[in-house]
Amino acid sequence: MEFELLACGGRQIMSVIAPTFRLSYFLKSILDNVFWIIVLVTLVGIPAIQIVLFYIEMPVINGELLTPFLALTWLADPSRAIPIVKAFMYTDFFRIAVFPGFGLAALVAAGTIFVERKMLAKLQLRVGPFYCGKVEGILQLAGDGLKLISKEIIIPAKADKPIFWIAPVAFVGTAAAFVSLIPVAPGWVVADVELGVLAVFAVIGFFPIVTVLSAWSANSKFPFIGGIRALHQMISFEIPLILSLLGVVMLAGTMSLTGIAESQEFIPWIVFLPVGAIVFFICILAELERIPFDLPEAESEIVAGWLTEFSGMMYGLVQLGTYLKLYAFAALFTVMFLGGWSGPMLWPPFPEEIITDGIQLGPITATIPGLPLLDQAMLNGVLWFLLKTVAVIFFILLPRGVFPRIRIDMLLSLGWYKLIGLSFINIFIALALLYAGVLGPGGII
Amino acid sequence: MVGELAGNYGNILLMFGFAVVAVGPALIISRMISPRKRSNPVKFLPMECGQVPKGEGRTHFMMQYYAYILMFVVFDVMAIFLYAWGGSILMLPKSATLPLIAFLGIMFAAMAFALYQSQRRNIW
Repeated sequence: MEFELLACGGRQIMSVIAPTFRLSYFLKSILDNVFWIIVLVTLVGIPAIQIVLFYIEMPVINGELLTPFLALTWLADPSRAIPIVKAFMYTDFFRIAVFPGFGLAALVAAGTIFVERKMLAKLQLRVGPFYCGKVEGILQLAGDGLKLISKEIIIPAKADKPIFWIAPVAFVGTAAAFVSLIPVAPGWVVADVELGVLAVFAVIGFFPIVTVLSAWSANSKFPFIGGIRALHQMISFEIPLILSLLGVVMLAGTMSLTGIAESQEFIPWIVFLPVGAIVFFICILAELERIPFDLPEAESEIVAGWLTEFSGMMYGLVQLGTYLKLYAFAALFTVMFLGGWSGPMLWPPFPEEIITDGIQLGPITATIPGLPLLDQAMLNGVLWFLLKTVAVIFFILLPRGVFPRIRIDMLLSLGWYKLIGLSFINIFIALALLYAGVLGPGGII
Repeated sequence: MVGELAGNYGNILLMFGFAVVAVGPALIISRMISPRKRSNPVKFLPMECGQVPKGEGRTHFMMQYYAYILMFVVFDVMAIFLYAWGGSILMLPKSATLPLIAFLGIMFAAMAFALYQSQRRNIW
């Protein structure tokens, strides 16, 4: 390149950018790409779509079984598109991928990261992200994502490579499995299981395993120390976490999360069991490794704890999993103690005249069948659920600007002595409420 | 009936699988588009803040908190057993609570003894 520059004598600097550009080569490359795209689509893409559509169970709309042909033609007709969208919204895939599942959780996680940065900055008299995206640095997260995905992934030479690769993905997957148990609105839950509380504990039990495996596989000192700390911390706080929810299960008389949320339609359990709620909240902070319990990734002592050897997108995935986990724990607190989706009706009803008369724009009247897309009770439930969850997330973020980190022996004594004692007291409060005739069948309330 | 129950639990696994399928490509894309510079002698060493690492990566650590892990194995299971009682307490007669109070007492006493033993550093 330098030789060429010298040969040109700096006369045609512009030609250095694309020294051998020819229009014919350019067109040929485009045609090549088009050729290969057509070949791949006809040989692989269309058969794949046909096979998938052949095995998917299609819904019946307007008394007619939906075929791929009808779906594609009806989607082009706005008056008949809504039934198809509705039918799609009640499939398992939509629940898992978009609404009560991964999409909603990822959206709340992104919002949490933004709010955490700005709020922490305000608490510490800083500005926070400011330049990226003109309004309050709102595109900072997208910028960080692009940065992480374009960074090189470096894996230590002596690491156990398969486990090290699997660990971040398994972490995100476990967090997503936890999200799948959370009911967002009546009937809107990915996995409505009968023993929901036990399923939650089962899923939570996988986090220490993933953490310790990733720490061990890195074969480095700081991750190993961080992983051992994380193991001790999660284990110490799992027993008070389990015991503090027992009071709610006793009063509600069911272990399904949907049933527990329905049982507090009028009064949330935090009114009767404040001790359990406080213990559970402290356990959430410890399980999420947030300040004041962030010993596993204490950045001023052991570089980044068990995240030290993660680089590039692996670190990004672990962070995504952490925030999914944060959303899931905040939502669990909402469901167990704050009443889930219950609340006064705030959402305005869908205007009746649009259903009966259609939308009138001048001379044109468009009647759209299938409206409303979502009923009022569900939207109101989601609104209340999200309001409560965001409030809990705010209280989870708040200690980060206020508290210092505590020592590990203080952490263990807090978990094993004080919190377990308090959660036993909580069980006896629940028993007393039941047997004094305040709550339960035939109770005053 | 059994199949329906298992189907609901299956959704948890489906969600796990979806998350893996959705975020796994991020690692592959990152591997494809990110630069991979030639190696130098310290690039693939464990991170120790610029020092050349010495000794093993999987270091030895103190046993003094190992007692808590032993206690966890016992009391986690006992805490889960309490849910069998807590979930059905509204359907049980009041006399069924007394044995459970005794169980709680045994659990509490055992935990207190274990915590006392875990404080004796000379045996760990």
